[in-house]
Amino acid sequence: MMLQMTLRRIWVGVATMFVVSVIVFIMTSILPGDVAQIVLGQSATPETLAALRAELGLDMPAYLRYLEWLGDMLTGDLGTSKAGGAAISDLIGGRFGNTMVLAGLVAGISIPISILLGLWAAMHPGSWLDRTVTFGTLATISVPEFFVATLMVLILAVNLQWLPSTALLRDEMTFFELLGGLAMPIITLVIVVSAQMIRMTRAGILNVMNSPYIEMAILKGIPRGRIILRHALFNAIGPIVNVIALNLAYLVSGVVIVETIFSYPGLAKLMIDGVQTRDLPLVQACAMIFCGAYVILILIADIGSIVSNPRLRHPK
Amino acid sequence: MKDKVSPECKSDELNFFDLSPSDKCLVEKTIQGGFSRRDVLKLMMVTGVSLVTAQNLLFTGQQALAAMPKKGGSVRMAANLHGPDDQLDPPRFTSTIDYVRGRAVYNSLVQHNNDLTTRGELAETIEPNADASEWTLKLRKGVVFHDGTPFTADDVIYSMNRHMGDDSTSVVKSVLASIQEWKKVNSHEVKCVLNTSNSDLPTLLGLYQTKIVKNGTTGDGIGTGPFVLDSFEPGVKSVHSRNENYWREGANLDLIEITAITDPVARVNALIAGDVQLINQVAPSAFRQIEEADNVTLLSTPAAVQLGICVLKNAEPGMNDDFVKGLQYIQDRERVVKRILKGKGTVANDTPISIAHGPDFCSELPQREFDPDKAKFHFEKSGYSSAELYVAPVASGIEEVCLLAQANCAKIGFDLQLKKVPTDGYWGAVWMREPINVVTWNMRPTAQSQMAIQFGPGAEWNDTYWNNERMGVLLQAVLSEIDPAKRHEMMCEMQTLIHNGSGMVIPAFTNINDGIAANIMGMPTVPLGALGALEWPEFIWLS
Repeated sequence: MMLQMTLRRIWVGVATMFVVSVIVFIMTSILPGDVAQIVLGQSATPETLAALRAELGLDMPAYLRYLEWLGDMLTGDLGTSKAGGAAISDLIGGRFGNTMVLAGLVAGISIPISILLGLWAAMHPGSWLDRTVTFGTLATISVPEFFVATLMVLILAVNLQWLPSTALLRDEMTFFELLGGLAMPIITLVIVVSAQMIRMTRAGILNVMNSPYIEMAILKGIPRGRIILRHALFNAIGPIVNVIALNLAYLVSGVVIVETIFSYPGLAKLMIDGVQTRDLPLVQACAMIFCGAYVILILIADIGSIVSNPRLRHPK
Repeated sequence: MKDKVSPECKSDELNFFDLSPSDKCLVEKTIQGGFSRRDVLKLMMVTGVSLVTAQNLLFTGQQALAAMPKKGGSVRMAANLHGPDDQLDPPRFTSTIDYVRGRAVYNSLVQHNNDLTTRGELAETIEPNADASEWTLKLRKGVVFHDGTPFTADDVIYSMNRHMGDDSTSVVKSVLASIQEWKKVNSHEVKCVLNTSNSDLPTLLGLYQTKIVKNGTTGDGIGTGPFVLDSFEPGVKSVHSRNENYWREGANLDLIEITAITDPVARVNALIAGDVQLINQVAPSAFRQIEEADNVTLLSTPAAVQLGICVLKNAEPGMNDDFVKGLQYIQDRERVVKRILKGKGTVANDTPISIAHGPDFCSELPQREFDPDKAKFHFEKSGYSSAELYVAPVASGIEEVCLLAQANCAKIGFDLQLKKVPTDGYWGAVWMREPINVVTWNMRPTAQSQMAIQFGPGAEWNDTYWNNERMGVLLQAVLSEIDPAKRHEMMCEMQTLIHNGSGMVIPAFTNINDGIAANIMGMPTVPLGALGALEWPEFIWLS
């Protein structure tokens, strides 16, 4: 049953990626100007435009260019960047690693913190700690991340000079130097993503706490801590892992503002650059990675919630 | 950083910099050798130098010692823009980050000085024939590429030919269109044959894109330049170390790293925090922050960088001269410079030529002042009561200029609507297409090329479609005119034609505003682009 579901989901995922690639291709083609025009910019002339279009194969009809890309993609060839001429696998390679390192570090810090804080707040609803957490998370959700980032830079880098203002990495850095160099983006992102996960954990558990079987447990005299950890948490875990998965996917694909402010070379910024230069193969490659990340993470989340919940494991 | 000769030195007095190298050495050694000031002065007077001159020699000599370049150290530059389209192939250079990498790894034939004169770089001499239609370039001998290959005429011919021909995608193809052919004379001499006279050819050979690459290569980063490319990741960074076999004295820095921080606030913060040492494009809102920090300096170089509004002359409403006049008179130029540019700019007179172009600037042309009454008169005469202006933030301050014009138009009952569009795709979709749009132009090295590129009849980038025959005649004639008075007269006539007839509204020129660490010495100030037209890698040192 489980295997069947997984296979079906993978199939749907692949179909989704195909549809996304078509949509992204069409949307990018609709944008004004093509890569030749953007690359030559203010200094474009009709002759140089024509020469560059011919050189890049842009004079082919759009559907042929799409099919060519699809063919290359299926054989594992991501192609070369139309704008710069570098191999896309080279452009993505290092940045993929960077993105994964940052996402991994942020997830490693924020997920345990969020679940612990969320649980704690749920165990003591109405206490001062619960109020602080609720208010604090609401505040950090409503403040845009570029504001958090710029504020961090102003305080920690410019005024106190404790941390570097940008995440400009060198190859020969040790793990702790890397951690120091990445401290600012990590702090910013932990603040941004934790808030949602904390609130979801707290709300999910409190929601379950209202159900009759918990009331029964309370009447039987089971301590509150045990009720939450043993009886409530596993029923609440579905929505929680889904929120975690969405936040992880966001860390992979959506941290463009943090990448820009800290000048951290990651994938999200690469895709934006690709769109700005109408560099279709690059945009497509990034879109596939992001789409793939969402598909896989949501799949894991669903599997996780099924495994943790006997009622989903054994449906009637 | 600044000129090291003290202003008190009168020109007829001997000073340190006029001495022969061996005398300089003597004075330096004497100063360093622990003699007291009195000893040195006595020594000089005995040898027959007057007291004033001797003191002067000593003073300038001490200054020169303080300004002696120091070897070593590394800097990191953060440009305003980078991406997967970063290039090492000179003909496709389009952004500051490409230009600086080009400057670090390659050389040009000709180099620009701070005062916009030129000197030979890979070309030792560059001589025109009588009517400047054929130029002979003697190339420097003993220059080698980073991989050890000697530099010869073949490399020059190959590199320069890439800007010509039907399949050329060079960014400067049309700028170099007057070149008909490059001919090899021998291994270290080439001839450049033009299809017309052009006394400004040397300046064209010093463009960012006319760098010399190795014969047969398309920009793999192997050049003859002061820095060797260690690593290059497009959209991330490049690292360069000093070329120890350089043909000139060589760079002072051991290592440079070139990257970009695209967020303007983050860029300034990184400079002040000391993470980077050079940044370009400092916005007026950050001037105070930089000026108040003591570890960084604001480098504001006056240049003819236009903040312009193009009104197309081949469409409504620009066809109507009165409409253009109205838009020109409603520009509050003083306020633009003082408030929007925070004083880091100059008032412009609806021509692309500024005082930064030197003697070719027509100071006789009366300045067009802010005059709402005249503007109202012309707008009413034109019959238009509203117009739509396409604005994108293509230059810092341009949006504010348009907003100010809008407010002033409203006061005289004219409805100037601003249509905001993104910079993304602007040059292909809006510029030279929409009837009224905004533009910025980097300063070109000569007044002639500046006007030819933008106002020549039928020129590729004639962005107001203003075609004036007389303008075309003068643009050509001025290139072969050698009498300075007549030349200036022609320059003035052209500027007057543009001022009165074209569709360009240019309220102000902005300075080039960059930020550098205060311990950077010897910073070039060529006004043709950011950070001294990116001439810095070879010349700066850290104090």
